[in-house]
Amino acid sequence: MKMEDMSLSGLDNTKLEALAQDIYSDLVEDACLGLCFEVHRAVKQGYFFLDDTDQESMKDFEIVDQPGVDIFGQVYNQWKNKECVCPNCNRSIAASRFAPHLEKCLGMGRNSSRIANRRIASSNNMNNKSESDQEDNDDVNDNDWSYGSEKKKRKSDKVFLHSLKQHIPLVSFIAVEIHVLYVVFLSTCNCKGANR
Amino acid sequence: MSKDSKMRATINQKLTEMGERERLKELLRAKLTECGWRDQLKAHCKDVIKEKGLEHVTVEDLVVEITPKGRVLVPDSVKKELLQRIRAFLAQHAT
Repeated sequence: MKMEDMSLSGLDNTKLEALAQDIYSDLVEDACLGLCFEVHRAVKQGYFFLDDTDQESMKDFEIVDQPGVDIFGQVYNQWKNKECVCPNCNRSIAASRFAPHLEKCLGMGRNSSRIANRRIASSNNMNNKSESDQEDNDDVNDNDWSYGSEKKKRKSDKVFLHSLKQHIPLVSFIAVEIHVLYVVFLSTCNCKGANR
Repeated sequence: MSKDSKMRATINQKLTEMGERERLKELLRAKLTECGWRDQLKAHCKDVIKEKGLEHVTVEDLVVEITPKGRVLVPDSVKKELLQRIRAFLAQHAT
């Protein structure tokens, strides 16, 4: 064990450096050999010279390096400030806003259906509100169901809670009705009992 | 001498076993492609092939012509970076 330890620590810097250089040249030779094999196979399979074309065709597809054009020679921001006419509503829309506008205008796409549903829900609630009586307004001011979460409520929750509030007067009315019936029932029982 | 060669063998084995050799190979390939070394050598290959004739060129021909040129053409920055990594590995695992 001691001998091996000595051999490891006895390796001084020059030897380490020589070792590093050897490893490096092994790696480079590997890379060269790899390339040779690739090229040789390409030659024998017949596809090595496939990317050579005549000078004229090469010039046609050269990379373009001018200002204002991309590498294919096309102008790439000429539609920035143009305006398009919407075929649906015949309005003039800026090019960058055209796609989202079309989405909403034609009624397709994810967001437009969501917005439409929201509008329907809120318009339904507005209609219901105008039909309720004066005494129902007390219940609308009730804070029981919405304590502490008013600002964070999403619109769908607001709609749900609002529709619930409309039912509170109905529930209390039913409760009163049941109570009245019970009292009547009791009194008829008493009368009957008394008559016996 | 045999201690040294044993040491070298151990190091080389470690290099392979830990996957470091593969990583270094990949790094070298990537760097050489990036800096255009491959394209340069491929162009040289084309000359060799045109010289020897498409049908008769052998792997040996290519190796003999390409390898010395390839060694020379490696850019200094790539060489330095690779040597650095190798030395770091040796420093970690040889002492």
